[in-house]
Amino acid sequence: MAYKTSLDGQQRILDHLADSVFELSDEEILAEVRESGVDPQEEADRTSFVLRQAVDTWESENERLSSLGHTINPNYWRCVEGIYENHCLSCGSLVSFSTTTQRMEGNALHGSCPENGYTIRRREASR
Amino acid sequence: MAHLLPFIDTRPPRRPPAPPLPPQSINTAPKTALVVANETLVKLLRRCFEEDGYTIRIASNTEEGRRLYSDFAPFNVVIIEYDVPVRNGAQIDIFLPQTSGRDLASDILKIDPSQGIVFAASPYRSRDDLLLPQELLHIPVMIDITIFQLRTLLSRLEVRLAMAALTIADKLRLKRAAAFWVQVRGLSAHDRTADELLSEAQLKTLIGAKETQQGRHWNRDVDLVRYLTEAMRSISNNWKRQSEKEKHFRLELSTRDAEGTEQSPLKYLASPEAAADRILIAKEKVARIFRMFKDDTEATQVLQGLDDGLRPNEIRQKYGLDKKRFAAAVKRIRAKL
Repeated sequence: MAYKTSLDGQQRILDHLADSVFELSDEEILAEVRESGVDPQEEADRTSFVLRQAVDTWESENERLSSLGHTINPNYWRCVEGIYENHCLSCGSLVSFSTTTQRMEGNALHGSCPENGYTIRRREASR
Repeated sequence: MAHLLPFIDTRPPRRPPAPPLPPQSINTAPKTALVVANETLVKLLRRCFEEDGYTIRIASNTEEGRRLYSDFAPFNVVIIEYDVPVRNGAQIDIFLPQTSGRDLASDILKIDPSQGIVFAASPYRSRDDLLLPQELLHIPVMIDITIFQLRTLLSRLEVRLAMAALTIADKLRLKRAAAFWVQVRGLSAHDRTADELLSEAQLKTLIGAKETQQGRHWNRDVDLVRYLTEAMRSISNNWKRQSEKEKHFRLELSTRDAEGTEQSPLKYLASPEAAADRILIAKEKVARIFRMFKDDTEATQVLQGLDDGLRPNEIRQKYGLDKKRFAAAVKRIRAKL
């Protein structure tokens, strides 16, 4: 069969194929996974693990930040050239997060929030 | 004529009186919270919850909290002040470890293990001081109680709840889609894996930021599977662009002109020749896909239809394919790619 191609064609074909996975019924996707020689339960558990691990990472990084007394507005993350950036609402220090390294960095992580000294002092005093 | 047919009422039918609305239960509200805490903490939390559209129930002791939970559960979140008294007027012995808050949390989790709970523990230095038993270690603890911290925790709880609700089939679809994007974009050659893609999409969902815009978090009105899928599509595209850029930089850095002068990589990236190259490469990739199915007429028809920008039903109509044959052809393409 003769065919013609275009630049966007590749994108359309791939998009449709990715979407077609979601058009399969539960039975069909289970059957397709089994046909490929993979145990569906194991595959599903592995996916759960990956998703859960990402949430755990995000939680521990946020706890690390807040243990230094910094407070960020969770709705103010901005993506700048692939790196997510935010600022401490109290002292203005930069907080950045890279999904590749999965770590928070920036000035805020270098020390306690100077504007939120009370919290830190209170904690230190009770040690 | 109408008088001969008195039994036919030609007037527009009168609507029967509307039945009284059933009493609005708190559980039909979009988002609900149970706060078991002292008055000062309640005041702070109430502001945040109300701003975010939550309906809240309040208890000042664990006995009341238990009763409200058994009457009105489930809640989107239960906030428990760690040192909340068992009943009003009950004295707290500060020399003994406090257990009322964690006992309430344990009881709630026995009723519903997936119930999202947050401990508020401002008098403590860190979560380690709470001496939580193993089964409660997953519960987030707010030491510095601020509205922003609460919002962050609430959004994470919502994601956790949505994750818990995913079926095996949902997880398999996500994994397949991730593997598909990594494979077809040629990312495996750059050591990228489907798990990495899935993980990054999940983090993006939690961060909620969009390019140069203020953050927009996933919310539970949007299907999490769809949201993650769109995130994976976008991330895999960015990875692809990034790897192509790096490739061009590497090529260009090793290239010198006839006089041996080093060329600027930026010059190369901006050049129309580079864009023309990319078009040629993309066309060749589509042609390669078609060649893989040269002996499969129906698969070729589906590919041709998609390449022409037709929708699935238009493709089926154009080539006379019924739903089953169309789905089978798509499955063959997916399996081979």
